[in-house]
Amino acid sequence: MPHNWRLSALAGLLVLAAPLARAQQSPGGSLAVTVTDAASTRPVEAARVFIVGTSIASATAADGKITLRGIPAGPQTVRFLRVGYAEQTKAITITVGQTVTLSVAMSVAAINLQPVVTTATGEQRRVEIGNATANIDAAKVLEVAPVGSLSDLLNSRAPGVTVTTGTQTGTGSRIRVRGMNSVSLSNEPIWIIDGIRMTSTQADFSTVTGSGGTTGGNNASRTGDLNPDEIESIEIVKGPSAATLYGTDAANGVILVTTKKGRAGAARWSVTGEGGSIQDRNFYPYAYSIFGKRPGETVSTRGFCNLQRVGTGECKADSTTALNIFDNADLTPIDVGNRQKLGVQVSGGTEALRYFVGVEEEKEVGALSLPQFERRRVDSLGLPLRPWTSRPNALDRKTLRLNLNATLNPKLDVALTTNFINLSQRYSLESNATAGLGSQVFGGPGTIDNGAISGVGTPLMGYRAWTPYYTWSEKTGQSINRFIWSTQANWRPTTWLTNHVTVGNDWTGRVDDNLLYRGEGPPLTATTRLGSRGINSVNINNLSVDAGSAAQYHLTSALRLTTTVGAQYIGFRSQGAQTGSRQLAPGSQNVGSGTQLVIGEATTIQRTFGVFIDQAVAIRERLFLTAAVRSDQNSAFGTNFQSVLYPKASMSYLISEEDWWKAPRFINSVRLRYSYGQSGVQPGPNDALRFYDGGITSVAGVDQPTVIQAALGNANLKPERSAEQETGFEVTMLNGRLNLDATYYSKITQDALISAILPPSYGAVTSQLRNLGAVKNAGAELAINAQLADGKFFGWNVNLSGAMNANKVVSLGDNPPQIGTTSRTVAGYPIAGLWAQPITGWQDKNGDGLLTYFADATKNEVFIGDSVIFRGYATPPYSATLTNGFEFFGKKLRLQTMFDYRGGNKWYNNTERIRCTRPNCSGRNNLTAQFVDQATNIAANEAPARTLDGYFQPGAFVRLREASVQYSFSNTLASKLIKARSLSVVLSARNLKLWTKYRGTDPESGFNTTGTGDAPQEFQTIGPPSYLVFRVNVGY
Amino acid sequence: MTIKTNTGRPYSSRRAGAVIALAIALSAGACQKANDRLLQITDPDIINPSDVLSPDAAIALANGAISTFRSTTGGNIAGGVESSWMFGGLLADEWSTSSTFIQNDETDQRVIQENNGSVTGQLRNLYRTRQRANEAIAALTKVNQTARALIAEMYLARGFAELQLASDFCNGIPISNVFSSEPTNTNPQSTAQVFAYAAASLDSAISFANGTDAQSVVINRAARVVRGRAALALGDFVNAASFVAAVPSSFAYQHTFSLSSSTNTLWGQGLSSRRYSVGDSLEGNRRDIFVANALPFASSRDPRLPVTIPTTGAINGQDGLTYARTTTLWGQLTAVDVANGIDARMIEAEAALKAGNTTSWLSIHNALRAAPPKLGDVQPAALPALVDPGTAESRLSLQFREKAFWTFGRGERLGDMRRLIKQYGRTEANTFPQGVHYKGGSYGKDVNLPVSFDERNNPNFKGCTDRAP
Repeated sequence: MPHNWRLSALAGLLVLAAPLARAQQSPGGSLAVTVTDAASTRPVEAARVFIVGTSIASATAADGKITLRGIPAGPQTVRFLRVGYAEQTKAITITVGQTVTLSVAMSVAAINLQPVVTTATGEQRRVEIGNATANIDAAKVLEVAPVGSLSDLLNSRAPGVTVTTGTQTGTGSRIRVRGMNSVSLSNEPIWIIDGIRMTSTQADFSTVTGSGGTTGGNNASRTGDLNPDEIESIEIVKGPSAATLYGTDAANGVILVTTKKGRAGAARWSVTGEGGSIQDRNFYPYAYSIFGKRPGETVSTRGFCNLQRVGTGECKADSTTALNIFDNADLTPIDVGNRQKLGVQVSGGTEALRYFVGVEEEKEVGALSLPQFERRRVDSLGLPLRPWTSRPNALDRKTLRLNLNATLNPKLDVALTTNFINLSQRYSLESNATAGLGSQVFGGPGTIDNGAISGVGTPLMGYRAWTPYYTWSEKTGQSINRFIWSTQANWRPTTWLTNHVTVGNDWTGRVDDNLLYRGEGPPLTATTRLGSRGINSVNINNLSVDAGSAAQYHLTSALRLTTTVGAQYIGFRSQGAQTGSRQLAPGSQNVGSGTQLVIGEATTIQRTFGVFIDQAVAIRERLFLTAAVRSDQNSAFGTNFQSVLYPKASMSYLISEEDWWKAPRFINSVRLRYSYGQSGVQPGPNDALRFYDGGITSVAGVDQPTVIQAALGNANLKPERSAEQETGFEVTMLNGRLNLDATYYSKITQDALISAILPPSYGAVTSQLRNLGAVKNAGAELAINAQLADGKFFGWNVNLSGAMNANKVVSLGDNPPQIGTTSRTVAGYPIAGLWAQPITGWQDKNGDGLLTYFADATKNEVFIGDSVIFRGYATPPYSATLTNGFEFFGKKLRLQTMFDYRGGNKWYNNTERIRCTRPNCSGRNNLTAQFVDQATNIAANEAPARTLDGYFQPGAFVRLREASVQYSFSNTLASKLIKARSLSVVLSARNLKLWTKYRGTDPESGFNTTGTGDAPQEFQTIGPPSYLVFRVNVGY
Repeated sequence: MTIKTNTGRPYSSRRAGAVIALAIALSAGACQKANDRLLQITDPDIINPSDVLSPDAAIALANGAISTFRSTTGGNIAGGVESSWMFGGLLADEWSTSSTFIQNDETDQRVIQENNGSVTGQLRNLYRTRQRANEAIAALTKVNQTARALIAEMYLARGFAELQLASDFCNGIPISNVFSSEPTNTNPQSTAQVFAYAAASLDSAISFANGTDAQSVVINRAARVVRGRAALALGDFVNAASFVAAVPSSFAYQHTFSLSSSTNTLWGQGLSSRRYSVGDSLEGNRRDIFVANALPFASSRDPRLPVTIPTTGAINGQDGLTYARTTTLWGQLTAVDVANGIDARMIEAEAALKAGNTTSWLSIHNALRAAPPKLGDVQPAALPALVDPGTAESRLSLQFREKAFWTFGRGERLGDMRRLIKQYGRTEANTFPQGVHYKGGSYGKDVNLPVSFDERNNPNFKGCTDRAP
């Protein structure tokens, strides 16, 4: 019973704290506060008011007022915090049974920093935490930025957090926080929404009988279901040093989502309307073919000749044909997509009961569209044109949120959050699906005269094996009904003790469906066009129970202590039933009409129970020390491994508050931080088990049940353990107009779980999860916020952030390097680094303008190194974001731009690799191809080395990721124009311009972005689109 | 210490603390028991080892082994890869690639990378067949000893997998004839040693299949045919012929298919998906690229192998470029012959030829040609009698050509081409496809499949000992 002593210890500590704290308890009085803006004298809403050293705190209502009750008599310190304002403290004296009245005028801070952050032990002042904190004021961002998804909201807004998004509408993202910890497990952070665990499954999509199995590329992720407009703020807990108390799967970071809450006052309505266009403005490569003659031939033909054969004299080239389907208005599968959104939110209430209600519908149609030549053909032949054939990629999301906060009495408040999401989306089969669009649009021979579709006779018009009409005849969609609720009770029986319990559940009902009517679709196989239908119904349940107590007490007037204990249970269950069939009855879309049935069932269950204790000490309100420990048990641990213990400690020191501190006058405050902590990532639910699978097989013509070994298991399996040290400092200068935040971290993951490849000769499964390795991540993060001008007519603020991460596999234990086709995991090198025999150079020795491979070294023109060596990171280790905001006319007009840099990596241009084998790439078939492209093709397809080195291309880029113009009408004008309280309009754009040396479409374009791996690559992928959105915000 | 609270009641904090601590400690104990229950999960998707100890389970394990066995022949694209029957045929001259997969292309071009994922999958399935057969043998022996024919079939599966390993892969195949239920690192063996393992396994199969019931008879004959092939590979021509002497020409031991379990991959990859095109000595869409040594499987228009040869792009391969030559030899559910009477006759014929008995050799062939057994879905018409070509070399060529047509697509051709080099003095240059490849570059030098890079996780394995035939 490994938890017993720990629970007892927790209890004991809390009990020891009780007398100390109780001694401070005395009969109380009240405090009535009014908070106003120092400049405008208007009430300040949502200012947090704390009685320091007690559990008493609340927030001001819309009129800037709040009354705190039950405050112990005697001298007290009141602290006022509000984002956008400078922190204030006031000394008061409370008298028993009396109400003290206090008016506070808060000054606007030059820089917007979140003064309060959410932690595992509750809300805390940011300055008391020993970690760097990344906070995104979602409501503020959404006022101006072109945000269509949660990924957009996260992307490039926190140093050290890298977000790469799938390119189709509705696809998810890869999120990495401070690099990659795990060789074989997911490196995705966990998500917590309003105190409960949120389902954040990646690639959460699978069809039963769809020809691609999934989309062939990026898929839905459950984080993408959420409506960004309902979010108040997002905090990113970056590493184990901060994430310790979140438990055994928090080593990759924690993303904390807080949704909007109601505030006391009259109902305030907010109506948002949005409309915009989606355009694909990417570069796409031409396809080429050479027409030529072999010796002795008189007729020039396509197919045999390529640059190598021209170089060797096996062929004489006559001409090159070239075609870029994307550039041809009649052929292109790209059109302008569109986006609309209409949302209404209302909040208000009394101090006793506050509410927030939001309802919204969002529709987006991606840029993929049936080409014009196909529409004409469909019209002329009277063929059915189904919605998913016409526009294969679309999303329709409806959300409803009701959040209630009730203060039942001064000691007890409760909160209820509810969120219903209905989502319907469909995707194009794309990158890595033979039936998909990418295989056809990137694979054609560079001429529209390339014959007809096999067995069907439709002209190919430059597409490879069939045209988009055939691909998109197949519907590949997903519908979601999701209900997330949580309820929280905070009970403060005394001024020193706060107890909380949070219970909640995130339920998702997911249906993935595929449909292809009989007689339609591509001639992928002899039976594809006989039709198929599949329904994959999955219920995902994520239950959270979180309870804890915090005691605050003063040992001396200078020593404030807070002891927190907590326990947490997370129960995850995913249960799916697959029903599908092939060879449907004509005209039928019913699964029951298929002659070839496919059925299945899949269940995943995982449970975690953890407890923690956290002891915080505040010394003279300038030195803050914290020590904590958490213990977890998990159903996925091996039978020989029972539980895990994670410690942490941190220090935050407001050194500039010291009397002895001397610094130039322009420096206002300096804070030093240090923290150490551990966390983990747990194995998969069944990874520890040895088990068999059941199935059926035909034996002598009769179907019989089978039992086959499915996993070797590992009884010693335990979670990965990541330990991180983080240190940094924050400096505020020039009266708060310049903030500098610098962080260095170093974390090492021990017992790294490696999916050890087993030798085939074992005759067993392919791999076995083992705790073998160690992975190190070290890096630095820097954030500079500056208010360069703050005049009445002109303001200019700048945010510059940067991050670097060095990732290294320290050890693989006894395991040999993990070797893939392009990426390898080798001790001493980054996870999933790119490896190849290098192209060391080239020389056109014979001066024919072509590079040719010859076995004879004296004639050979492309030079390749002998050994496979490390060629670069597969993902960017460096990133920087520059955001400029310009304000004019009393902040009525705001222009904002965000430039994003990522670099230090190579991006695998697998599109070009397969194009060269089609073959239609420039390096193989274009008589005027650049030498770099020729060498790339020669090295991959002609030289014995068969190296893919040339397709590992520079991944660095600068992107104008966001730009916006916002105009806020004066309240008077808003009232006159539409009788509104407020009115603003925003024109914003996303992905406007890209600067890169990458030779493919886009160095963020990955077909496997939403997969769990860390070797992204472009592979027959349609690039990320650009958004241009007009938004109107009206307040009543 | 006693203090007054704001309620005015006297209160002993230590006493209260002790009570609370005790209460919490007791709660903790109860909590832990609840916790243990809380973390217990039962996953309905999995079968625990304790559930596979019954006689029924032993049979299900054997069925699982047969399912895996089938993945090494004509069915089950397990792990997304077809069998080495098909890749061996690509490397030899039976099939040409019309796929978009580089793994297929490089195999057809005879320049196979050690990390070829398809080859890795095929290798795994061969090993898994052995291991799962062994597991089933152990289970059947323990709880169902009367199922001798089924035990024999497991030995047959094991022996066949060993035969196919040795026929298709390079020298240096890690393997052992000591079996363990736990993963064990084994030492590389030559193909000859692996053929010997196969022979031993098949001897066991013959020994167990000694009943007179129908299943025993089938397994006995199948084991004899495969044992004969192993004997041929080991150069034991006389015994090879004697093993198969009693096997009728009409006999077939088959792997079967159904819509609800798995369909025929030879059809699926060939006629259905058109990733494989029937091999020929004239390649390219205009059929103007001559491939030296390659048999004209398509253009010979042999009734044993009906082939559609498109002259336009009306039937393109899966690559969208190659005019795919397709055969109707197999349909979606056509059973494939793992071992059959034709194999038996081919063994006898080769043994006769080796013995210099030309008359017998020719008569075996002509008897078969006069009354051809059904091949897949095709019932060939009677073929004209062969005429002795007159020289030893040409007889040898004819022997292997005849066998190639009789056994097309059934995983024998690569091993036979290797034997032509090893046992009959032919060379790679006059046996395997040579010249310009229609998809670019020229044919390479590979004559076998490499034991894959994944095997380097076995510390005893450092790569193929050699790539010799």
